[in-house]
Amino acid sequence: MNLKEIKELIELMRQTGVSELEVERSGVRVRIRTGRTGGEEPAVTVVHPLSERASQEPSAVKPSAEPGAPQPAEEQGVLVRSPIVGTFYRSASPDGPNYVEVGDVVKKGQILCIVEAMKLMNEIESETDGRILEVLIENARPVEYGQPLFRIDPTSA
Amino acid sequence: MAMFNKILVANRGEIALRVIRACKELGIRTVAIYSQIDARALHVRAADEQVCVGPADNALSYRNIPNILSAAEITGADAIHPGYGFLAENPHFAEVCESVGLRFIGPTAEHIALMGDKAKAREVMRKKSIPVVAGSEGVVTSEQEAARIAAALGYPVMIKAAAGGGGRGLRVVNREDELNRSFQSAQAEAKAAFGDESVYVEKYYIEPRHIEIQIMADDKGRVVTFGERDCSIQRRHQKLLEESPSPVVEEPLRRELSRVAVEAARAVGYLNAGTVEFLLDKQSNFYFLEMNTRIQVEHPVTEVVTGIDLVKEQILIAAGRPLSYRQQEIRIRGCAIECRINAECPDTFTPSPGTVVDYVPPGGPGIRVDSALFPGCTVPPHYDSLVAKIIAFGDTREEAVARMNRALAECRIEGIKTNIPLQRRILNDPAFLKGRYSTNFLEKFIAGE
Repeated sequence: MNLKEIKELIELMRQTGVSELEVERSGVRVRIRTGRTGGEEPAVTVVHPLSERASQEPSAVKPSAEPGAPQPAEEQGVLVRSPIVGTFYRSASPDGPNYVEVGDVVKKGQILCIVEAMKLMNEIESETDGRILEVLIENARPVEYGQPLFRIDPTSA
Repeated sequence: MAMFNKILVANRGEIALRVIRACKELGIRTVAIYSQIDARALHVRAADEQVCVGPADNALSYRNIPNILSAAEITGADAIHPGYGFLAENPHFAEVCESVGLRFIGPTAEHIALMGDKAKAREVMRKKSIPVVAGSEGVVTSEQEAARIAAALGYPVMIKAAAGGGGRGLRVVNREDELNRSFQSAQAEAKAAFGDESVYVEKYYIEPRHIEIQIMADDKGRVVTFGERDCSIQRRHQKLLEESPSPVVEEPLRRELSRVAVEAARAVGYLNAGTVEFLLDKQSNFYFLEMNTRIQVEHPVTEVVTGIDLVKEQILIAAGRPLSYRQQEIRIRGCAIECRINAECPDTFTPSPGTVVDYVPPGGPGIRVDSALFPGCTVPPHYDSLVAKIIAFGDTREEAVARMNRALAECRIEGIKTNIPLQRRILNDPAFLKGRYSTNFLEKFIAGE
């Protein structure tokens, strides 16, 4: 997806009044949210599922929650990163409940998710007590070593 | 068999870039793997997809088999090219790739295991009446046995790690009274470096030349050779400069070396790219030393004098194609020299990692540069120090030398130290210019300064 295409999408959204749009092509996902008040810059997030690394400089502007909202939640807390390469699953089985949801309080050692590699299910445990602030990967998406999976607030328990 | 759709390159640096380039030319999609410290490396940016496989420590990243296989799985790669070093000659890795349906671009796990055991490889060749460097029949397990063999061979002898290779795990023993101590320490070193203390004994030739033959075999049992490379310029058994053809190999010797190399490949039913290494003594007798079951660092020298892309050929053969060339179609034309540029202090040889603040590679006629450097890149301390290969081609050896001199003078790498000054001194040494050098050349050259 190139800049021209992204600009065209933004213009299309302006014309039609659509406020949020997500497009995926060739493993690259673009999510665009326009501001509520006129004239505000839309926020664009480009997500390459295999190269999202929060530790490097951000590859795109992060979406703002609401216009004038306080410091976004992603600035707080610590990241839980994948220790292996594989596929991220939020639950033990396709029909089963997710291990954790946003807002859940977790304990150190509690299983947060599965990363499946070569048919082996690896349970990823929390390194700390805390509260789940954000789930950073969608279910059944590929993840690389070091890829952020969750944001946890370790101070609240 | 259809061509591969996507190849994962299980390596880094210049060789990863080399393989990615071959894939691009064949229209094959590429996946780069990288350690966290290599996030901005050139090979990562050159590939279509990238997967971080671990932290800087190569055992946890570039040699992390589960993460690498998983990276192939999540990207849907159907083949893996291992490059050289890392997992390229790990028979377990080759086997595991095949068992999960990933084509390993190279020979089979059995070939790698057999040729990887240097003592066994010698035995296989010896039984096929291929001349081998005189030495023990297989692994030597006691000092007494080693002493007996050494006495029969005549000193000096070498004690070598059976699981070693590439110039590592070697001990020279000059006299009988040194043998016991050298034997024990060679075993300890082999155990520490390769996890296997097996050693064997070989005659140590004074001032031999290291001549190797590039071969390629397809799955129909056809084998072709691409001439020889002279790799005698070595420091501590690490090659520094290679050239093709060898200044001391005439056509009859070339034919003989090639014939024997083909026999060696056929002896084991070899597949894909390989190199048969020989020692050449002062009387031009040659002896099988070892066989390398990978694409080698110095492969560009052969590519340049034959006009053949060896890495592309590896990929085609791995996809089940027959050899693209018949032996009669392969011609050596002109002369090529490769200088390995290492990130190290030219005098002390201590590694010189850091940030390359400026990089201007040489260019112009007859110059090829294989490198993953770019201005502002990081040369990390965790990996080997090779940062660039400069290959100079000429119609004659004199022209190749003149071009290399020009290229070395043009080349700018600022921010780290390199061995370019040493390479320039070698290129202007009278013995080198006459083509009169052996594997002792560089040590004497360095000591003499």
